[in-house]
Formats: sequence, C-alpha cells, structure tokens
Amino acid sequence: MKYMILTYGSQQDYEAFTGRPSGERAWTKEDWTALAKFMKSFNQELADSGELVETRGLATPVHSRRVRLQEGVPVVTDGPYAESEEVLAGYWVVECESFDRATEIAARLTDCPGPEAERARAYVDVRPIDEHQPDFEG
Amino acid sequence: MLDAETEDLLRRLTPQVLGAVTRGYGHFALAEDATQEALLAAARQWPRDGVPDDPKGWLIVVAARRLTDLLRAEQARRRREEVVARWTPAAIEPAPAGDRPAEVDDTLLVVFMCCHPSLSVTSQIALTLRAVGGLTVAEIARALLTSEETVTRRITRAKRSIRDSGVPFARPAGEASRLDAVLRVLYLIFNEGYAGTSGTELLRPALAEEAIRLTRTLHSLLPDHREATGLLALMLLVHARHRARSAADGSLVPMAEQDRDLWDRTAIEEGVDLITEALPQGPTGPYQLQAAIAAVHDEAPTAEATDWPQIVALYGVLLGLDDGPVVALNHAVAVSMVDGPDAGLTLLGELEADRRMATNRRFHAVRAHLLEQRGDRVAARRAYETAAGLATNTEQQRYLQERIKRLK
Repeated sequence: MKYMILTYGSQQDYEAFTGRPSGERAWTKEDWTALAKFMKSFNQELADSGELVETRGLATPVHSRRVRLQEGVPVVTDGPYAESEEVLAGYWVVECESFDRATEIAARLTDCPGPEAERARAYVDVRPIDEHQPDFEG
Repeated sequence: MLDAETEDLLRRLTPQVLGAVTRGYGHFALAEDATQEALLAAARQWPRDGVPDDPKGWLIVVAARRLTDLLRAEQARRRREEVVARWTPAAIEPAPAGDRPAEVDDTLLVVFMCCHPSLSVTSQIALTLRAVGGLTVAEIARALLTSEETVTRRITRAKRSIRDSGVPFARPAGEASRLDAVLRVLYLIFNEGYAGTSGTELLRPALAEEAIRLTRTLHSLLPDHREATGLLALMLLVHARHRARSAADGSLVPMAEQDRDLWDRTAIEEGVDLITEALPQGPTGPYQLQAAIAAVHDEAPTAEATDWPQIVALYGVLLGLDDGPVVALNHAVAVSMVDGPDAGLTLLGELEADRRMATNRRFHAVRAHLLEQRGDRVAARRAYETAAGLATNTEQQRYLQERIKRLK
C-alpha cells in the first residue's frame, strides 16, 4: 500500500532554514551540511529497499497562490499564508507492506539534524493513500 | 569591470532570465527588479570568480532567490496594511507545440509585455530598454537625454499598469497588431538615437546600435515576419551613413554632400541582402518600402547618380500606406529631383492645407530649399526663417541659420 509522509514549515522556518535570522536561531552551514547528508542517506535507503515512490520539497510559502470561487469567478490570492502559519513543506510517497512500516520510516525523520528548538517543534504526518474509489453508500 | 564579451552575454541573457523567472513564479514587475539585481550580482562576482559554467542557470537561481526576498517584503507590507492581492486568472491559450526553443519564446514574451498597449509610448521605450536591452536606469537616462528620476518613474508606472491589468505572461491574443506595436517601439528607439529632438548631440549612435541589436533579436525570433526584416534592413541602411552625417565641428551634413567613402559598406550589404530577400515575397509594408528607398540611396556611388525615378515610385507606393507628413514631404523632394523644383513646389502647395504641415520644420525647410533652387531668394529666406523658428535641435538650428545668412 502507498502512504504519504508529510512535513511542515512556516515562512519563518524557511527563512531560518536558509540562514536568515527570524526570531529563532538561523541554520548554520554545518546544520545544512548535516541535513543534506542525512536526507541523502535516508532517501538512498528507501530507494534501495524499493519503498520510495517519490519525494519532493516545496518552495518557500511566499510563492503560493490560492484559488477559490468568488461570486462565481475563480479568484487568485497571492501569498495567502501568514508568516508563522505552518504549511506543507515536503513529502515522500512510500510503498510498503503496512501502516506500521510507513510510520517506522516516518519516525526515522525525527533523527534529522538541525537546531534544537526546531527539532523539538517539528512533526511529520503519515497518511494512507486512497487508491480505490471509496464505496458510496446510500 | 566587465569585459565587453561578458557584458554582451549578460545583456543577451537579460530577457531570457526575466522570462524564465516570470514564467516559473509570476510577478513580472518584481521579477524585473530581481533580474536587475541578479545582473548586478553577476557584474560584481563574475570578474572575481569567473563566469559560471551555466551563466543563464546561475542568473535564474539568483534572480529567483531575490524574487523570494522581494515578495516576502511586499507581502509583509501588505499584511501590515491589511491588503490582499487578489486577481482573476485570464484564460491562457496553450502555446503552440514546441517548435521554438523555450528561451526564444521567453524573450519574445518579455518584448510583448514591455510593449503592452496599456502602457504609454515613453514607458514602453524605457521598459523595453531595461527589461529587453538590459540597460541600467542611468544608461537609459543618458541615452534618452532625460533624468534618472524620469526613467525610474516611467518604468515604475509601466510595471504598475502591467501588474494591475493582470496581463498573463503568454503569447498575446491579436499577436499581429501587438507586433506592430513592438516594431514601432524599436523604430522610435532607433530614431531617438539617430537624431534627438533636443540637446546638442545630434547623433547618439549607442542608442541606434541598441535598437539595431534588439531588432536583430526580434528578426532572429521571427525570421518570416517581413516587416521585422524590413525594419532591421532600414536601420542598417540608415545607420550605415552615420559617420558621414556630421562634420568635424559636429554640424549636420546633408546626404548630397556626404563623403560616401565613410559609409559602412558591410552594413549596407547586409541591409540590401535583407530587403532584397523580403520584398518580393508579396504585399509589402512601410518598413520594407523605407528600407528599399534607403537602399537606393546607399547604392548610388555619387549623389548625382541616385536613381530618383525609382525613389519617386517607391514613395508613391508608401504614400498609399502612410499619408503622414514625413512621407509626403520626402515624396515631394524626390519628385523635385526628377522633374525640377517647380514640380516639388506644386506638391508642397497641395500639402499646405494639411494642418500638420504649418508647424512642421521640415516642410518649411524643404520649401525654402526648392525656392532657393528656382532662384526665389526672398521667399526662400522667409521659409528658412519659419523653419528655424520651429527647429528644436541646435544642429538643425545652426544649419538653417547658415542658409539664411547665405541668402542675405
């Protein structure tokens, strides 16, 4: 079965992440290098075990558009998020034997290096992917 | 300092980088600022660190990063002011299947954006020189003989109109008429460089050469667009004479008195080749006709050997497409060269009723010249004086005063 593992971040987190101070400690070059090394081996192991379907990181939240219907017309809002609002930052799609295995994979992400405050706050979600039409009752 | 080759590369990449960033992230107005900042960063870093292996990719990455910063600042400001940027997506027609490489389309899209009909002509010119030509505000101000504040204002206003009108970054509907606007902007930039309307410097070859460079780019993007070909040919054929056009003291030399050895034979040859190829392909347009006329002049070994009947015929066709005062006047001059000053004066007499002629310096100068040729010195002097009263360029002023003195 396929599962999606999701990570989150706010505009502020993205800025700290790219080395810009924004209230909290900014990431250093060493933090970055450690992160890149961790992600590389994490993804490699998933690829080797045949469980990785795909993984993507999303651009910083200021580059976002929200589209919704307003008075019958689709209207776009540029940059719809507040600075501290946590939004989807990246995801993995994995294909593995069970929800527990997918959770085990997700749990390994808590080993990801980074500034302590950020590590303490971070979380990942795991969600099964619905590959079949849901049964419509009624 | 950048070497000429790198500067050339940066300027050529400018519209491609702006196009790629706008296509990827939107926000044309901010993307334009971001692109300029990326160019500055390159001008600072490349001489020190060397040109990167993928200069365009480098510039796109840096510009996108700058765009993020600019967007963040803008969104923070908006949030403070509790304003939300909302817009309705315009229907974007899918681009025709990729028969052209992406960067080519991007340059063209940037050109269309800069010449959008919602912008004033002065804004179109300033924005085109910056976003397509890669010139700095200071360079544009120098080229247009205006202040940096004025240029900044024109560019800012242009970008605001683009943002507010929600123009999509895509091939425009009614591409043909939009292309006419693009050619007109390029033609105006060339003319502005060729003979300024004010100031003491008669020729500003740098601006004319920039117009040629941009038109060459357009021609390479649209090799089958015959008016674009015609415009490039026209510019080359006229600009070929620029070294002969002003004397050592800076005064204007009329074409009949120019030293033809100073004409640029390479430019003439290229212009003649272009127009020879474009003309026979069907119904013609005003740029092609003007290029054909310029070619007849350029190919005459001496002023006396000019094929005036041919020029009269070409102006006759041009008059059918453009009844403006410039064409009508040139037609009258050509007719006087074939049939004598009286024939020219008769045509001018017919034009006199046109309101646009009363305040046209050239109308009075041409009339003065023809009157002088037939020996009517008093009337000639009076006409030269009227022309001098209308001249704004100090060189033209000097030339006309010289004529007046000779008739006293």
